[in-house]
Amino acid sequence: MRQLWVMTTSDLRQRIRDKSVIIFSLIVPLALMFVFNLVFGGTDEIELEPVTVAVSAPADDEVAGTLVEAITGTGVIDVTVEQMSAGTARTAVADGEVNLAMIVPDGFGQDVLSGTGGALEFVEGDTSGLETGVVIVVSQSVLDAYAAGTVAATAGGGLGLNPEELGRVAQEAATAGPTIDTVAGQTSDEQLGPGASLVAGQAGLFLTFTVGFGVLGLIAERQEGTLARLQSMPMRPGLIVLAKALTGFILGVVATSVLLTLGGLFFDVSFGPLALVGLLILSVVTAITSLTFIVVRLARTAEQAGIIQSILAMVLGISGGAFFPVSASGALARVLDLNPIAAFTRGLGITSGGGGLADLAAPIAIMLGFAVVMLVVARLIPDRGVSR
Amino acid sequence: MLEVEAVVRRFGDLTAVDGISFEIAPGETYGLLGPNGAGKTTTISMIAGLLAADSGAVRVLGEQMGPSRVAGKRHIGLVPQDLAIYPELKGRENMNFFGRLQGLGGKELATRVDEVLDLVGLTDRAGDPAKEYSGGMKRRLNIGIGLLHRPTLLILDEPTVGVDPQSRNAILESVEALSGEGMAVLYTTHYMEEAERLCDRIGIVDSGQLQAEGTRDELIRLIGGLDRVRLDGSGDLAAAADALGGLAAVEQVDADRTGLSLAVRDAPTAVAELVTRATAAGVTLADVEITRPNLEQVFLHLTGKALRD
Ligand SMILES: Nc1ncnc2c1ncn2[C@@H]1O[C@H](COP(=O)(O)OP(=O)(O)OP(=O)(O)O)[C@@H](O)[C@H]1O
Ligand SMILES: [Mg+2]
Repeated sequence: MRQLWVMTTSDLRQRIRDKSVIIFSLIVPLALMFVFNLVFGGTDEIELEPVTVAVSAPADDEVAGTLVEAITGTGVIDVTVEQMSAGTARTAVADGEVNLAMIVPDGFGQDVLSGTGGALEFVEGDTSGLETGVVIVVSQSVLDAYAAGTVAATAGGGLGLNPEELGRVAQEAATAGPTIDTVAGQTSDEQLGPGASLVAGQAGLFLTFTVGFGVLGLIAERQEGTLARLQSMPMRPGLIVLAKALTGFILGVVATSVLLTLGGLFFDVSFGPLALVGLLILSVVTAITSLTFIVVRLARTAEQAGIIQSILAMVLGISGGAFFPVSASGALARVLDLNPIAAFTRGLGITSGGGGLADLAAPIAIMLGFAVVMLVVARLIPDRGVSR
Repeated sequence: MLEVEAVVRRFGDLTAVDGISFEIAPGETYGLLGPNGAGKTTTISMIAGLLAADSGAVRVLGEQMGPSRVAGKRHIGLVPQDLAIYPELKGRENMNFFGRLQGLGGKELATRVDEVLDLVGLTDRAGDPAKEYSGGMKRRLNIGIGLLHRPTLLILDEPTVGVDPQSRNAILESVEALSGEGMAVLYTTHYMEEAERLCDRIGIVDSGQLQAEGTRDELIRLIGGLDRVRLDGSGDLAAAADALGGLAAVEQVDADRTGLSLAVRDAPTAVAELVTRATAAGVTLADVEITRPNLEQVFLHLTGKALRD
């Protein structure tokens, strides 16, 4: 027991120190809530501060140009862009002269357009926060759009289009915007309003990532060599996985509580009595944590774990209503109902609508049932990961 | 205190360890010498109970080792080949963390951490995050963590890889000191000099098998290796060659214009006699040099390939 706690507290300390959890579990989802809220027209009582972004990019990089246009043209946040060299940009962030640096490596645009990837680097400083989070999210979605474009272009390659046409198709696909029609403001069967369901959905979506920091930590330890040492310690090997799950669980509970509280404040919504909301949070985090036992069994590398994690987050998040209310009928509806994030959102609908503990029985049963099923499934998957 | 009995470990079609057996006595330093991919780390992983053996057995102080065995693990300190430290944690925090998992706590832990920090020369840097350490300092922290609970058997997997000569020497010295204090050490390396310097006995591994085992001298005798002695000097070299050729230790003597070349058994013992006889035969010696066959040659002889490529 003592060893479990020693490992968990040490993990939590490291996750907090490397700041990744704070950025991905709190700042990014909060930023997204704002973006969606503004796009779909919600309350805009919160003023976003203007930000200055240092951009270092090769002069003729087309994608970099689009990125700059996108971040300055959101209409949501006042962004000033200063072009400078990568080195100066880093210093400027460190000195607090700018809030964020975006560093575009040579050949980035070409890599993106050819679909071979390309990594964009963001450097955050002490003055980074919600606003810089918005800038990063916007850039990411522009790049996602390009990626979608190159996928379209690659598919076109099989149809015998020439390279110029391909370029045009890619450009069009990128500027065409999301193909999913979003339905704003339409409430699901429960009582959550659009703002509240956005907050709940985003909290649910990012929960998958937050809890995932626990498992990712385990896989990173396998790659880095500390796992070997942990396994040589006089303790049962199961404790190591348990400690990671517990880390993920604690991070998940904290992040979800903070997101619901802040989101609730910003959007002026109430989710109902604290004790009941707390119960829902514990249940949904339990459900999502149980998934990590499956990821641990499937993934060999941190990259694989990250991908599995993202897929799970997207599937559960989207079908759980993180971006727009999802409604379905018949068998599909019943499958969607089993999604713990959807159950969580429904549960919050019940509590915010004045429902009591008895009314929560169904969503809580779904979330805990989900956890039990996942733990059983995890036992059945042959372990090709941690314990080899 | 360590018994390894015919352990086998396969990864798919590959048999990484193919029936290795050896023992280590209390206080002994035992080296596993072998090239990349020989199966050293896999063997160690089974000894430390990280990996289950497909067959065979490992016992430490009579306790069976294996992934779910706890008792035997108290006696071992593992220093993995990859740096097993947390970069975000300070040197002292790394030690506290693993020390606690080893069951140490309170004042005992604090005192022991100070001792070990001192031993590995990191006292001044104990408060800095490990990610700010130099390569050699990280290696030293990595080793220190394995010593915290005063293990009966310290297992070091290539602890000097990627380390500058100065840090390497410091590491070798501390291993010598620990073994001087009575700790049994299992040391893997593909550097023959390290095995020769540190180890009481050496096992030569290749392709998952123990090709030969013994003290350095035993291994060299195994290949019938003779030492070479070169006596540089002037005078009646031919007479000296005759005189020396009659000695039991000497297998072969060749005289040339500047001196004598000899093939000798156990040159360090025989050399005084050689010098006396040569001088008596009227040779004025200018220089004496002994070259002993090394494990590199033993390895080449046993496996038909070089230790390092
Ligand atoms: N987890 C694993 N999965 C598959 N193959 C493995 C695994 N671990 C080791 N091997 C293989 O087993 C063989 C022995 O590897 P091992 O790491 O034990 O060698 P080593 O002697 O420690 O080498 P080095 O000096 O490079 O550290 C190699 O061929 C290696 O590729
Ligand atoms: Mg190895």
